[in-house]
Amino acid sequence: MDKITFEIVRSGLYSVAREMKVAMIRTAGSPIIHSGGDASAAIFDANMQLVAQGNDIPTMMGSAVISTKASVEAIGVENLRPGDTIISNDVYLGGGNHQPDVQLTRPVFHKGKIIAYTMTRGHWVDIGGTAPGSFTPVTWDVHAEGIRIPPVILYRDDKPVEDLFRLIVNNTRDQDTRMLDINAQYAGCFVGAKRIEEMAEKVGPEALAEAMKEALDYSEKLMRTQIERIPDGVYEGSDFIEPVQATNWDKELIPVKVKVTVKGDKITFDYTGTAPQVRGGVNCPFSVTCNSTWFTVKTITDHTIPINQGCYRPIEIICPEGTLLNCTYPASVVSGVTETSPRIIDMLLETLAPALPERVVAQSNDAACSGIFSGKDPDAARVASLRREHVQYIDPHAGGYGARPMRDGVNAIRALVGNAGMTSVEQVENFFPLTIESWALVTDSGGAGRWRGGLTAERTYKVHFDEANLTVIAERGLVPPKGLLGGKEGSCFKSSVTRSDNAVESIPSKGGYVVVHRDDVVRVRPAGSGGYGNPTAREPARVLDDLRNGYISENSARDNYGVVVDTASWTVDEEATAALRMTMAQGKETASA
Amino acid sequence: MRRVGIDVGGTFTDIVMVDDQSGQVWTTKVPTTPSEPTVGALNGLEAIFDLSGSKPEEIDFIGHGTTIATNMVIEGKGAKTALITTEGFRDVMELRRGWRHDRADLYDLFFETPAELVPRYLRKEVTERVSYDGTVSQTLDLEELDLRAAELAEDGVEAVAVCFLNSPVNGDNEQTALNRLRERSNDMFVTGSIEVNPEIMEYERTCTTVVNAILGPRCGQYASDFTRKVREKGVRADVYFMQSNGGLTPPEAVNQRPVTLLASGPAGGATAVARLCGRLGVKGAIAGDMGGTSFDVSLIRNARPEMRNSTVLNTFTVRCPNIDIISIGAGGGSIAWVDEAGGVRIGPESAAADPGPACYGKGGTRPTVTDCNLVLGFVDPDSFIGGGFKLDVAAAAAAIKNNLADPLGIDVEAAALMVRQVANALMAQAMRLVTVERGFDPRDFVYIPYGGAGPVHAVDLARELEVPSVVLPPLPGVFSAFGMLVADLLHDMQASIVRNVDEIDPGALQQQIDALENEARARLREGGVPDHLIEMERRVDCCYLGQGDTMQVELANGTLAQADIDAIGETFKNEHRRQWNFDVTGRPVRVMNLRIRAVGKVGQFASPPVRKRNGQALAPIGMARIRMADGWVEMPRYRREDLCNGDSIEGPLVIEELSSRIVIGAKDKVEIADDASLVITVGRD
Repeated sequence: MDKITFEIVRSGLYSVAREMKVAMIRTAGSPIIHSGGDASAAIFDANMQLVAQGNDIPTMMGSAVISTKASVEAIGVENLRPGDTIISNDVYLGGGNHQPDVQLTRPVFHKGKIIAYTMTRGHWVDIGGTAPGSFTPVTWDVHAEGIRIPPVILYRDDKPVEDLFRLIVNNTRDQDTRMLDINAQYAGCFVGAKRIEEMAEKVGPEALAEAMKEALDYSEKLMRTQIERIPDGVYEGSDFIEPVQATNWDKELIPVKVKVTVKGDKITFDYTGTAPQVRGGVNCPFSVTCNSTWFTVKTITDHTIPINQGCYRPIEIICPEGTLLNCTYPASVVSGVTETSPRIIDMLLETLAPALPERVVAQSNDAACSGIFSGKDPDAARVASLRREHVQYIDPHAGGYGARPMRDGVNAIRALVGNAGMTSVEQVENFFPLTIESWALVTDSGGAGRWRGGLTAERTYKVHFDEANLTVIAERGLVPPKGLLGGKEGSCFKSSVTRSDNAVESIPSKGGYVVVHRDDVVRVRPAGSGGYGNPTAREPARVLDDLRNGYISENSARDNYGVVVDTASWTVDEEATAALRMTMAQGKETASA
Repeated sequence: MRRVGIDVGGTFTDIVMVDDQSGQVWTTKVPTTPSEPTVGALNGLEAIFDLSGSKPEEIDFIGHGTTIATNMVIEGKGAKTALITTEGFRDVMELRRGWRHDRADLYDLFFETPAELVPRYLRKEVTERVSYDGTVSQTLDLEELDLRAAELAEDGVEAVAVCFLNSPVNGDNEQTALNRLRERSNDMFVTGSIEVNPEIMEYERTCTTVVNAILGPRCGQYASDFTRKVREKGVRADVYFMQSNGGLTPPEAVNQRPVTLLASGPAGGATAVARLCGRLGVKGAIAGDMGGTSFDVSLIRNARPEMRNSTVLNTFTVRCPNIDIISIGAGGGSIAWVDEAGGVRIGPESAAADPGPACYGKGGTRPTVTDCNLVLGFVDPDSFIGGGFKLDVAAAAAAIKNNLADPLGIDVEAAALMVRQVANALMAQAMRLVTVERGFDPRDFVYIPYGGAGPVHAVDLARELEVPSVVLPPLPGVFSAFGMLVADLLHDMQASIVRNVDEIDPGALQQQIDALENEARARLREGGVPDHLIEMERRVDCCYLGQGDTMQVELANGTLAQADIDAIGETFKNEHRRQWNFDVTGRPVRVMNLRIRAVGKVGQFASPPVRKRNGQALAPIGMARIRMADGWVEMPRYRREDLCNGDSIEGPLVIEELSSRIVIGAKDKVEIADDASLVITVGRD
């Protein structure tokens, strides 16, 4: 087809996807959507292939590839009518990633024929289940993780199917906000469909279909060129995922394995050898494993390739059913996508480091590290003004992002597949009975290295609920983020409650919910991240800067980096530094001899 | 008397002078001098004096737009700045809510984080705390503050930003700190968040305040240096600076709130378009500024630019009212290239001014959008910059052949056409962004192009978006500088509300309004605006309770009654429905901020003298060959200066003026409006 129509449609679709996301963010009710941006939008062609997506949460996108097809097939293409919008969240019936991520899918019609689908996905702050916030990993099975919504039609003729609406909304906590969120997701699907209809009117439905097909081929072609540049070979890797830490549950670390085979313009990931699925919410449905894999390949090749399902065609994924990375009913899955998946990406990056040392990152916090408070608001004036009594607050917590070749890591940021941001301190205090006492970077939490790992940050909450339910769910409470090529490891996740009598209880990375009371103090600190390269090769001037800014301690400057600083004048003692680094190098030689 | 507009851009400084009585206009360009910023602007002033034969005392108004503030932040060349904040929160700015605010490619593992605006060791904490409801739970420890201030002085800090948690609800602690710092240190620029951006959400407020501090000493210095040097030339005129909101402000205000200059550069053009719309009675216009490196689009409704409350600069959010301008990297100098799958892409790389496009003959070998337009006839090789600068068609063709045509296996002409059409598609998308995505139908607007390359794509873009007509203003190449001398004085102020509509007491709100209006009025009086030229505009930012984003709603003038408060909710609901297509039932409307804008109506739109056709026939000066989408077309060429009011000509034809050419297709028609604007009625395909 002519290149111009192609370019107009291709880039036009990305802009539609962006517009869908904007519509959603600007109208949603959950802070995690409107302030954190934990929502996504994408466009699929008539064959349910993802052709364009916004610059959204990657973790939602990969699984949408699977869930959109599942949603449409569950209803049956022949049963869809203009004005329909499907809802689904279920991992086993709808190809979802975990129950709190709810997808709306809308067929786009032109003259009675489906020409595309638009989909929006939002993280609902609550989807029911055993604990408020629907994020506890201590569950027997998927039913305990919240309402299972198989693909069903939520809007018919652009009118909500009221009974279904009521059924769903009443199975979640904080129903008013839920109504806003559903409306917002619907607004996103609706506006996207409208734009695509306009596009079809303009260029013709055949040209639109052709352009969508070519867009997929185009990205596939670019991806194959990139994969060819990875040295052929077989690369093997393994790691351990943290288990759910509940009384009387198996506490062994869970082994995961991968064998990556690069051959020409094809790349295969074989996860055979990974442990069987386990009890509790750490399992990954296959859609999550696919997403972790696809994301990794996209990032280590060329991130500028226009993203769509074509990028994934050269990638083969093998993973036996019933394992941690391809779990089957009724395994629980809530933290598979938020905590296990980033660990898989870290494992893949480490595995591929020998092939592409310039393209990988030292290990990061990775985890969403969510903290959820839920309870009754004791502030009567606020209850009246905000028109609710029971409140739920969820925030992901940003940790360290690993060091990279030629570049330091990034302090306290949500990176990789999850990119939702955190709620503003003032907003939290305005809406919830909590005071945030501090939110600060943690000295020395970034692994030392030629390039330093990013630091984590700790948030301290003071509780003003009379009584509240607290879920904290994270990763890397037991397995620290490793450094690469001589870089040192970063700090582990840490969380605690200090009771009003000053007793301190530590909160594990994947325990059950905790009950907190007025004046308790809760601390949440995600993991830091690893360094890259030998720390004694770091320029003393950078070490001096890090020390003066409190990113590292004087001990670390001396012991890890071999740099001696005069903190009165803030200068490097060049001589003492040279001598110390010499001794350290000799010590290393002696040790290795 | 005469007015002067000065627009300092990255490479060139444009100057426009208008004579109030005769309407005569003079324009010129001089090189920008980044190392000595006042020099270029003053050179330009000299140049325009020479050109027009004006005497300094004939000048009564100077409007000045400058990119000095933007560059200072991007290049990190502002003042050595510190932050004083609530204990426990010095990292708020660095943490950026844990989010990549630029939303740069999320699949890029190697994303860069810009250097901190304030290094961590200069971010100081003091003991103090205000609760969300305004209760002071911890009074400010003044001794501690003094110690911190002493440390900062020792470190040679030039500017201090103060931002305390929850200060928009109760600013007492912050005010105490500001007073103390100002008492004790004369040589530091001190600025507080309650003065700059009293609005909830600490990350955005801190950034805004810090940016104000970073700019404070140098921008203020620039404003007073420039004004003094202008005075030394014997000019007694009022000197004003263009702000991001499209309004001018006196030098004294730049001293206090330089953050309002952050997007000064592109604001001039949008303001000029707004004025033009007012004059022509145009209800809505899409304004498109195509320069060397970018295409900037804004929307004008009811003769005012659409605004937004914040902008992101270098990943830092700055909350300060600014014109809602969408900028994409598709300018005349943007480089066209072929990717590995054979797709044609444009930008973001630009040939800039040096070496410039291949056709400049200054050593550029990669094809740009301008090179393609030249090969296709949309740019005239002989009349570029008034004919003083011949363009090299062969060099352009060679660049296209080597980098586009050969790799794609097509001829030069086809490759050039492809680039032009891809560029059109990109620009049309940006235009859709400011219309369709904001809930407006482009067919209800006219398109007003300006900037050096603005006219070159104008008619195609209008056709693509089904915009019915294009209005090409006089002097499109220096239209931004023109905006500097037609703008009003604006002073924006805000206060935090954070209440449901039904919780607002009209009396209490009236008090807040009065306080802001009085202060704003005082500022304009200081700027020399007489009372009868001062107008107040009141707006509130609203959302449905629980939403994160707000929409602006106009508030009635005069003394507020309960009915005016009730109207807020209704107006908001209508606006929300218009944009998003749904209502939210059972949720109250919440008012987040009050915004007061004081307008000093000093701007005037001068038109060039009316030119009448006195019996002479209009004749083309020759023929041009243009490669239209379906083949080469021979068409007559007209000089813009030969056109007279009331002329009406059917396309196809070409109209040429200083440095640009506009091609009008076979189904289009052009008429000359009485202010010398060209009005092109765009035919449908």
